Amino acid sequence: MARVEIEIPPRSAYVGVVRLALASLGRSSGLDEEALDDLKIAVSEACTNAVLGHEETGSDEPVLVTWEDEGGVVVEVTDRSEKQEPGRLEDSQGFSTRQVMSMALLESMVERVDVEASPTGGTTTRLTFSH
Amino acid sequence: MELGLDVRKVDSHAVVDVKGEIDVYTAPKLREKLIELVSEGSYNVVVNLEGVDFLDSTGLGVLVGALKRVKAHDGSLSLVCTQDKILKIFKITGLTKVFPIHESVDEAVGAAE
Repeated sequence: MARVEIEIPPRSAYVGVVRLALASLGRSSGLDEEALDDLKIAVSEACTNAVLGHEETGSDEPVLVTWEDEGGVVVEVTDRSEKQEPGRLEDSQGFSTRQVMSMALLESMVERVDVEASPTGGTTTRLTFSH
Repeated sequence: MELGLDVRKVDSHAVVDVKGEIDVYTAPKLREKLIELVSEGSYNVVVNLEGVDFLDSTGLGVLVGALKRVKAHDGSLSLVCTQDKILKIFKITGLTKVFPIHESVDEAVGAAE
């Protein structure tokens, strides 16, 4: 299947749009319901982290999401926000912060997650799905 | 994308029936509703997730925040959930140890009495 690119404004309202679009692509690629649920969570987490990063810095640069299925699904989410230092792992009452829960979900929903600084500034999160 | 929130009283509990998808866009609406309940004096809250199709870390963050609020008033926050795909999210993040999770609203209300 061809490569698909979706660019969204860095606003929370668009995270659901990406989730729906990629679930639809996943269905076309023959993913089963459980794999689709995992895909939706992982895509949502990566996009949420990107969008919240932009909101923190007040950036309007779009977030780029790419989908590729060449024998396995790979999704990349690239933002152009100047990310803050990683947040604390726990709050004052010992609960995990949202970022920690987000990373736990990402790591268990995909075969592999790579987060790297992109050459254009910002961060690329690459999600490799097994199937 | 709409998030449905209906609040009803069952015994001394405020039960919030949530319908739809809880993500970064809709989670603030749930947070506001839960803050409103606590500020009105409802410290024993049951959040019914049976109508929820999707939940991610932003929704979990809101539930943890609400739990802290009710605990500050010696209250309780329990969940109703039987859907495997939603339970999986709580298991992965270790929150099954933090929230009492029940199979029905009646069970949740009875357990917290």
